[in-house]
Amino acid sequence: MSGPAELPAAPVVSGARRLAGTAVEAVTVLTGWGEGVQALPADAARAAAGRAIIPLGRPALEGERFRRATRECLLGVAAVEALLRESRVSRDAVRGSATALLFVTGGAYGASNYAWVAADAARPAELGGKGRAAVAGTLHFPYTAPSVMSGEVAIEFGLTGPYGILIGGAAATIDALWQATRLLEAGRCERALVLAVETFEDCAELYARGRWLVGRPLVEAAACALLVPGARRTRYDAPRAGSALEARARTRAGETLACAPLIALALGREDGATGSIGVTGEWRGRRAGLYWD
Amino acid sequence: MPGATRLRAEPVSLVAAGAVTPFGADVDAFWSGLVTGSDGISAIERFPVDDLRVGRGGEIKKLRALPAARRVRCRATQLLLAAAEDLLARAAISAEPERIAVVLGTALGGVEQLERAMAPGGRARHAAEALYDSPAHALARRLGARGPVMTVGAACAAGATALGTGADLLRADVVDVVVAGGYDALCRFVMRGFDALRSLTRERVRPFDKRRSGLLLGEAAGLVLMTREDAPAAPRLGRLLGHASASDGSHVAAPDANGRGLELAVRWALDEAGLTPDDVEFVSAHGTGTLVNDRIEADVLRRVLGARAAAVPVNSIKGSIGHTMGAAAALEAVMCLMAGREGVVPQTLGLEEPDPVCALDHVIGSPRAARPRISLSTSLGFGGCNAALVLEAVDR
Repeated sequence: MSGPAELPAAPVVSGARRLAGTAVEAVTVLTGWGEGVQALPADAARAAAGRAIIPLGRPALEGERFRRATRECLLGVAAVEALLRESRVSRDAVRGSATALLFVTGGAYGASNYAWVAADAARPAELGGKGRAAVAGTLHFPYTAPSVMSGEVAIEFGLTGPYGILIGGAAATIDALWQATRLLEAGRCERALVLAVETFEDCAELYARGRWLVGRPLVEAAACALLVPGARRTRYDAPRAGSALEARARTRAGETLACAPLIALALGREDGATGSIGVTGEWRGRRAGLYWD
Repeated sequence: MPGATRLRAEPVSLVAAGAVTPFGADVDAFWSGLVTGSDGISAIERFPVDDLRVGRGGEIKKLRALPAARRVRCRATQLLLAAAEDLLARAAISAEPERIAVVLGTALGGVEQLERAMAPGGRARHAAEALYDSPAHALARRLGARGPVMTVGAACAAGATALGTGADLLRADVVDVVVAGGYDALCRFVMRGFDALRSLTRERVRPFDKRRSGLLLGEAAGLVLMTREDAPAAPRLGRLLGHASASDGSHVAAPDANGRGLELAVRWALDEAGLTPDDVEFVSAHGTGTLVNDRIEADVLRRVLGARAAAVPVNSIKGSIGHTMGAAAALEAVMCLMAGREGVVPQTLGLEEPDPVCALDHVIGSPRAARPRISLSTSLGFGGCNAALVLEAVDR
């Protein structure tokens, strides 16, 4: 077998170009309310008008490759596509090993997992099942893995750089943002995409049972931030209270789990904050914060 | 790369380990099973497998009853708490609760609880326990940890990335102590999946062998206690010198045909460690026993090691206990450090006739007397995940 071509030794930024800190270059938000933070209502709870879940449709992406891909995979692809489009960054610019991908989700794997278990329950009664029609076949099994959501994104955009996948709500996204800044500051990548996806509708009955764990309304979302080398150092800590942006994102978007800090970042940028900005996020009693001071 | 300014990362101490594996309830049983060539594969008894092509795996037959796990129904959490019991028997965790982090890798989280939640009479708490990060939070509660609690979802490479993430938390002085590792429980969910993909072998697992025909799954939990080098506790097991993760960007369920992502992860991990391939004295390979994985991995190791590929011992423990998914890399890291400390490298169980396309210096038939100081451990997983760890053993 021949070796791969043009394998870089390490995507190290040269000393002359290297900056001490990082910057948030762009943030894109897709939610059940629409595209961008301008689509968010002033009060999500009021706008939901009693609906438990505000769904986000399956993106219409072309290509045979997406035939089997799950909705949550496509939402990840759509969020990155929107980010590149809005920030006028070409696909070629992010392709390759100099772009890191950090993916976070609290529960978007739930849909595929739910379908897989339901399909198992459909096995014949003599084998312990209920004999119902199957809803997920053999080829769907890989899609039960959370890493396949980011895997589809990596394939679509040719991302072959540093790679991280965290499972959890808003606090995990803060962790992922911190990891992105670490990678950039260490010169391990030239840019980092922090992507979060959350879906709820396909296993709505489970979320209905777990009301004590998550707030309402549950709003499906996909959000992505592009981080690059910049002048600001970050501080990563565990604040006792959430930031004003965290509260605002919660009020305007609803419960978006891992997407919440990225929505907060987008809201902050909408306010004109392009330099000093901080975001916080809470999940399961733990709150984390990241601040570009 | 000209002008590169990368600095060698600060090594991190691995103070102690804890494990529960098909070989038994602690690290000693794990190590003993490996060096004695024990077979941890058996018929699965805990859930129905009659309708599957393959019903064998590295199942843990008996879990010690622990007071801390008395009310725990989630198998994955039970495994973690059992591994933690072993860890705590070997080393005390002394730090402020806010300065203790838990970072765990998993492929499945508590997904077996989803099967319970969706069964007749399923309860809301089963659904909550099915979230992939639930076991990590349960372990954090057991340890009294109130620092970051992270769950790495990088499929079967997750355990390696968890150790690397733990090292980053220490290097950044976010915490003083990290309990890191990985876990996964065998359950019908995953057995049915790999069975349907025809990835499971009906024979024995034979990593890198001419007759290899697939993998078998196993269940386990492996944990390490990590501190900074300047912490009062002297390193007892070894050090983590470097780590890296890289994406293939080529296929959701198969490794890149040229192993690009794995090669990058290996080279970056060595770079972070401030070492070169010439420093590697032992490789703990992912070595699942599948046709494609083993060939690609062997290709990558030959490219990285160059002429030394014929002289650097390589093993895989998946013939012994199966592919323990999220736990695999953590256990393999522990094995690397034990090998350096004990002066013996366990053999690859099931490997008898190496496939020429997988030519490496495989450890075959019996353990090899060697005391590798610097080890490389490789991992791959669904979603194009690749990870590598560079470890340094310390003398007993």
